[in-house]
Amino acid sequence: MTTFRQLLKGRFAVLGVVVLVALGSLTARLWGMQVLSGSTFAAAAEGNRIREVSLPAARGRILDVKGRPLVTNRPVMAVTAPATISQDTTLVAHLASVIGVPVDEITKRLASYKAERLAPRVLKLDVPMQTAAYLAEHSADFPGVAVEESAVRVYPGGSLAAHVLGYTGEISETQLASGALPDAKIGDIVGKSGVEASYDKVLQGEKGFRRFEVDNQGRVRSVLDEGAPRAGKDIKLTIDRDVQKVTEKALADAIAEAHRQGFTKAKGGAAVVLDVKTGAVVAMASAPTYDPSIFLGGIKQATWDALNAKSSEYPLNDRVIQAAYPPASTFKAVVAMAGLQTGLLTPSTTFNCPGFWTGLGRQWGKWCWLHSGHGHLSLIGAIEQSCDGYFYNVGKRFYQAQGEKLQAFARTLGLGSKLGIDLAGEVPGRVPDAAWKKAYNQNYPEYQQWLPGDTVNMSIGQGDLLVTPLQLASAYAALGNGGIVVRPHVLDAVLAPDGTASVESSVSVVSNAHLTPANLATLRHALVGVTTVGTGRGSFVGFPISVAGKTGTAQVAGKDDYALFACYAPASAPRYAIVVIVEQGGHGGSVAAPAARQIMAKLFGKKYKTIHTTDVSR
Amino acid sequence: MRAPLSRILRDRVHAGVVLSTVALVVFGGVMVWAATVTMSGHAALVQRQLLGVGIGVIALVLMWVLDYQVLKAWTGPLMVALSLLIISPRIPGLGASVSGATSWLQIGSIRLFQPSEPAKLLFIVVMAAIIAEYGGKLDKTPDILKVVGLASVPLMLILLQPDLGTGMVFVAIASGMLLVGGMRARWFAVFAVAGIVLVLAVFALNSVLVTSMNKPDGVLIKAYQVDRLLVFVDPTRDPKGAGYNLQQSKIAIGSGGLTGAGLGMGSQSRLNFIPERHTDFIFSVLGEQLGFAGAVMLLALYLALMASALSVSASSRDLFGALVAAGLISMWAFQILENMGMTIGMMPITGIPLPFMSYGSSFMVTNLAGVGMLLSIWSRRYGTTTT
Repeated sequence: MTTFRQLLKGRFAVLGVVVLVALGSLTARLWGMQVLSGSTFAAAAEGNRIREVSLPAARGRILDVKGRPLVTNRPVMAVTAPATISQDTTLVAHLASVIGVPVDEITKRLASYKAERLAPRVLKLDVPMQTAAYLAEHSADFPGVAVEESAVRVYPGGSLAAHVLGYTGEISETQLASGALPDAKIGDIVGKSGVEASYDKVLQGEKGFRRFEVDNQGRVRSVLDEGAPRAGKDIKLTIDRDVQKVTEKALADAIAEAHRQGFTKAKGGAAVVLDVKTGAVVAMASAPTYDPSIFLGGIKQATWDALNAKSSEYPLNDRVIQAAYPPASTFKAVVAMAGLQTGLLTPSTTFNCPGFWTGLGRQWGKWCWLHSGHGHLSLIGAIEQSCDGYFYNVGKRFYQAQGEKLQAFARTLGLGSKLGIDLAGEVPGRVPDAAWKKAYNQNYPEYQQWLPGDTVNMSIGQGDLLVTPLQLASAYAALGNGGIVVRPHVLDAVLAPDGTASVESSVSVVSNAHLTPANLATLRHALVGVTTVGTGRGSFVGFPISVAGKTGTAQVAGKDDYALFACYAPASAPRYAIVVIVEQGGHGGSVAAPAARQIMAKLFGKKYKTIHTTDVSR
Repeated sequence: MRAPLSRILRDRVHAGVVLSTVALVVFGGVMVWAATVTMSGHAALVQRQLLGVGIGVIALVLMWVLDYQVLKAWTGPLMVALSLLIISPRIPGLGASVSGATSWLQIGSIRLFQPSEPAKLLFIVVMAAIIAEYGGKLDKTPDILKVVGLASVPLMLILLQPDLGTGMVFVAIASGMLLVGGMRARWFAVFAVAGIVLVLAVFALNSVLVTSMNKPDGVLIKAYQVDRLLVFVDPTRDPKGAGYNLQQSKIAIGSGGLTGAGLGMGSQSRLNFIPERHTDFIFSVLGEQLGFAGAVMLLALYLALMASALSVSASSRDLFGALVAAGLISMWAFQILENMGMTIGMMPITGIPLPFMSYGSSFMVTNLAGVGMLLSIWSRRYGTTTT
């Protein structure tokens, strides 16, 4: 009896030590985890239970210059669900039939982005009340699916001013990466073009947030904290809705007129109305156009492809700022003023136009558009009749005078570089000179030298010269405004919540050509002559307002001629500058000029009847 | 002639055993309440656990009153009973398997208990009876092989259920008892090496069978058991599956800090991040809600219980009693180490509950019956007493 106790003593000690080691190592490990690294685990626990989603702010409205809505918002019911429901194929199939969105589309939307696992994806933006009610009643059958209030853009005018307004869409990966919108998150709706893009920060407002406590399944248990979103500000544009409507109609009518005259390839064009003194864009039309509402809730791939197909003539492009054309004879006003300002011309400078110009030698001879010739013409007559022969001579004089004075003057009028309008995508156009030609033909040494013929071609607005419709309108505004080029803009004011202007646009001068009153008067005389006795006469017969304008018919390789008209009016006290261009529309005098008159009739409150004139001039 | 009450208490009641047991049972009740407070069946779960405590107290008293030495005479029948108990869930009409791992004994639709729990106590008694035969001198090879061979029978049966967790408890129990019974260190080394070789062989055979028979759920070992072991080796593996439970458990315990979030509080517990939080992972709840202080308090109570059990073992009138007490210590120590260890990533995850803490009546009754056996040994340390 006593012997076994002796034997066991040491063994109990071993057993005791084993127990102590076991409990001791547990204690040591717990000390490390709970006391030494407790805060790390506490942070992980917080990360487990707290989820944050952002609350979108209502986007600001876009109004016309008189405060009439161009873009507003409409409350809608949106069906949303977190990405996690995609595992439940029965649920997705059921949901697809209820909201009328194919299963593929739902799966695609749920998988759209990896981040923000819990952020609900919009599956359908605008569901009818019955569908919303059905989902609410049967919410037990649709775990995770929610019907939320949302808002979509409404375009009261349909496609009216689509290019100025632009469209909205989910932020792209590239936009996110660019850092231009630092507060933006995946899934945000942002402006993609037009004013929606250039004033996105103003329209966007400030997002709110909501912090939830969630369980291990990601189900929301309670709302911890919430910050209300701050709505975006309304902005007022310089666009006048009524003038815009007429401008778009005039452009469409001009294209139809081109077809009537046999120019059946005419499809695209541009028209713009500028306020001469302020640079405000009163109207801006680009054809063909599109309906911005097709982008709501995500554009369908097929629609997007169609809008970007070559045959579509690219309706998303705003030709007023994104297309550059040869200005053709409308540039003669610039050449004439350049000649007057530099002293190379006087009002009485006279040349003879025999129809075929041989000023650079017979082998370099050039036809005037009027092959029979205009005979002896002064500067004013040459502009009125758009005589090419006369301006070939002027071009030769500029070449001989050296110093690229014509180019320099054109640049002072804002050509050849971006004007800085508050819309994205403006292109600079091109005022060619010797340096440009050398660089442009760097791989073709034989074409690098600037030749007299280059200046001669440029003096009738052809050759390598390219201008945007906006630049041309701005240049004509400057010609009517003493040579002051003001920056064109579409923003009139940013409105505070009470409707008063919190930011107002101001006149910003781009450059000043310092035109002398005498030269201004000479050019005005000539341009008014165009619409009274010259190449634009037919379109302005009986028009009560005196218009200083110039027709143009541009030759583009491989295409029908482009019809152009540029003007400012009233001639004596200019208020508006207008440019109309119809691609492959034929003659400026009979296609573009009537459109300009149609727009002006609206601007000055005059009646307008469709004009059909015949004109073969350039 | 009746002895005075104070004398009876001094003779029969081991204060350390009783006080630490009472404290552990109360602590466990509180923790089951705190772990289930946000569960739907909260009240029913707490009630069931209290019922388990009630039955357990009855079992404790019965074992206390029963002269443990009687058991020694029943070695043969007890061995048969143990084997039947282990295989009972496989007997048609008696067994039921819940979630593929936990086996129940049930008659009709009434679930009685998990036979693997009382099997642990029976195993201790049977082993004690066998080892006691050698009088504390277990150093002859044939003797050792005979003892280990007999121990292997219930062990193999439990592993074939398959119930890896209980099997591991059996191994721990046998090891502790063989130590006290006199087996030498080199024999432990031999069996440890043999065990490791055997386990590796089973794993290898399993993986061959899995691919050849195309049974991804596992043949000899369940696939989830392999996963748990792999996760133990590399916790970043499969964080949404087996590794997820471990990760969430560690977050819960670590976030408890020094004093914890408070009883019934703590986001990991409240929001279901802790898996099986009232059963296998109840220590994760304790760690989150009561912090390091609570954990140390629990460990101190376990230490008190096992130290008391050791004193019971040391004062037993016979080797059989000493061995039973040593078996109970081994059982508790291993389950505590394994259960708490798995919640903090020290041990692989197995389905072993935490004594006196985890929800489960069979488990509670078994542990309290074990305490009853300790008190029975203590009461009879001077010889069979009469009342």
